Amino acid sequence: MLYAVGVYCLVTKRNMIKLVIGIEILANAANLSFIALSTRLSPEGVLSVDPLGHSFVVISIAIGGSIIAVALAMVVSAYRHYKTLDVRELKRLKW
Amino acid sequence: MFTSALDMLLVSSVLTPVAAYLGERLGIQRLRECFVVLSFSIALLLLLPLYSDVFEGITVISFSSPPLAGCLEIDSLGILMAITAISLALLCAIYSIKYMEKDSGLTQYYVLLGFMIAGVVGVVFSGDFFTLYVFWEMMSITSYALVAFRKDQPTSIEAGFKFLVMSAFGTSTILLAMSFLYGMSGTLNFAQLALALHTGSPSPWLQLVFPMLVVGFGVKAAIVPLHTWLPDAHPEAPSPVSALLSGIIIETGLYGLVRVLRLLFDPVIFALPLGAIAIATMTVANLTALLQRDLKRLLAYSSIAQVGYMLIGVSVGTGYGLQGAFLHIFNHSLMKGLAFLSAGAIIYRIESRDLNSMRGISKYMPITTFALTISLLGLGGIPFTNGFVSKYILFTSAFSAGEPILAISGILNSAFSVVYYLRVLQTVFAKSNEEGKVRVKEAPLTMLIPMCAIAALVVFFGIWPAPAMDMAGRAAASLLDLERYVKAIFPAT
Repeated sequence: MLYAVGVYCLVTKRNMIKLVIGIEILANAANLSFIALSTRLSPEGVLSVDPLGHSFVVISIAIGGSIIAVALAMVVSAYRHYKTLDVRELKRLKW
Repeated sequence: MFTSALDMLLVSSVLTPVAAYLGERLGIQRLRECFVVLSFSIALLLLLPLYSDVFEGITVISFSSPPLAGCLEIDSLGILMAITAISLALLCAIYSIKYMEKDSGLTQYYVLLGFMIAGVVGVVFSGDFFTLYVFWEMMSITSYALVAFRKDQPTSIEAGFKFLVMSAFGTSTILLAMSFLYGMSGTLNFAQLALALHTGSPSPWLQLVFPMLVVGFGVKAAIVPLHTWLPDAHPEAPSPVSALLSGIIIETGLYGLVRVLRLLFDPVIFALPLGAIAIATMTVANLTALLQRDLKRLLAYSSIAQVGYMLIGVSVGTGYGLQGAFLHIFNHSLMKGLAFLSAGAIIYRIESRDLNSMRGISKYMPITTFALTISLLGLGGIPFTNGFVSKYILFTSAFSAGEPILAISGILNSAFSVVYYLRVLQTVFAKSNEEGKVRVKEAPLTMLIPMCAIAALVVFFGIWPAPAMDMAGRAAASLLDLERYVKAIFPAT
């Protein structure tokens, strides 16, 4: 569901910051899904948690952080050039 | 910790700023550049023992205890991709010495370059999704930064941001697909996944994962509905970076797609969708390439078309077809690397990317134009260049697998693409009627050396393709032999 929200955000929003938020929502959807699926019932009926999923999510969050850092740096540079955050204004490249 | 070659790349990327600082302090010019070139060459040399190892079997290196359970699994395919990546990176690093001279922030540039190549090598060596994802992001993040490297130009920021949004969407999709796979099998290891999930009839969840993987890896591989970042990102990046992006990064996307689909699904299931994507990719890219005025943009569209040819081989799925696809990956990285480097040399001298302003440039830059000619003929698949060999294998494999539509559309597209390559050649060889170009000189020596080296290789592998074909054949065989891949991790099963 969060994934759908993220895709919707990427498709409809025109503000660059909101696009970055959309990316973050997508990544979090995947992280959450990892956490949810790492819980499983063992054959004896005991609920157990697999550490693999959790360790993966920790690393994935760190990676997500660095993506956002790069993205925001680009947003700042774009704002300096175009004086707007609207992606519709960024259309010097076509075809 | 990892393999020696990968360690070398990682460590040298970290040490590059130290070399830059020392060079500045001690007054040794170009210490940083020499250090980068040297470290790429050492990494390439370190691959050689690995290369002889994979003849005997798959090398497995696991480097942590069970909860994380990352491992590298190196087979002939990984080695082929790694050799391609590091050798092209080496040549691009030599080329960058002169080309990037006027830019600021060069230390960062070389660090990013090193980490990008380390990421590519890590992706092709990785034996589980965990490692693959980490190296994948390492490659992606550095490539965003490299595309937007000239941050004082609005267009490169725009291209970089577009690339980032699309590519981050792709990686999140892969991540979600991974989480589903993990939920189904409780593991992220390739071999265990293949054991648990590879069946003739996929479950509904697997059928859901299939399009997600195609979309996720497809964004990087620039298959057609998802290709729009590429014609922006490639021209806006500095030329050596475009050569690397086009020669390696999109192929890494294709590698990920092929490797993962082969592990999880029967080829019968993905043959049809991938075939359709291949035709769409070739046709759209070739048609739009015709309209281009900008030389680098034209080459970028031609890259997309080449991905379409490679997809033919993947979709056919026989050993012969895959051999063609991997041979084409190798050849394409040489040809497109050469094309972008020589285009970059012309742009370096005339400071314009417009084809019209390149009219008659052959008179002033004969060697560069000669290199450009060889690369374009290769891309068009003219005999006696390596592009001919791999395209021939791809198309005949489609015929022999009983898919004449794929083969015919490939041949038509290939013939069609020659039109715009010839248009470029006609422009550069035409008689110039302007006097303004008298100042244009031949490209500097450090740019000519890598160009001539690749041009020689393009012709060499066109006349005597046996060594490259042999390597690609082994890579295809190793991809097809899933049982051996699984056994390398679980000797018992």
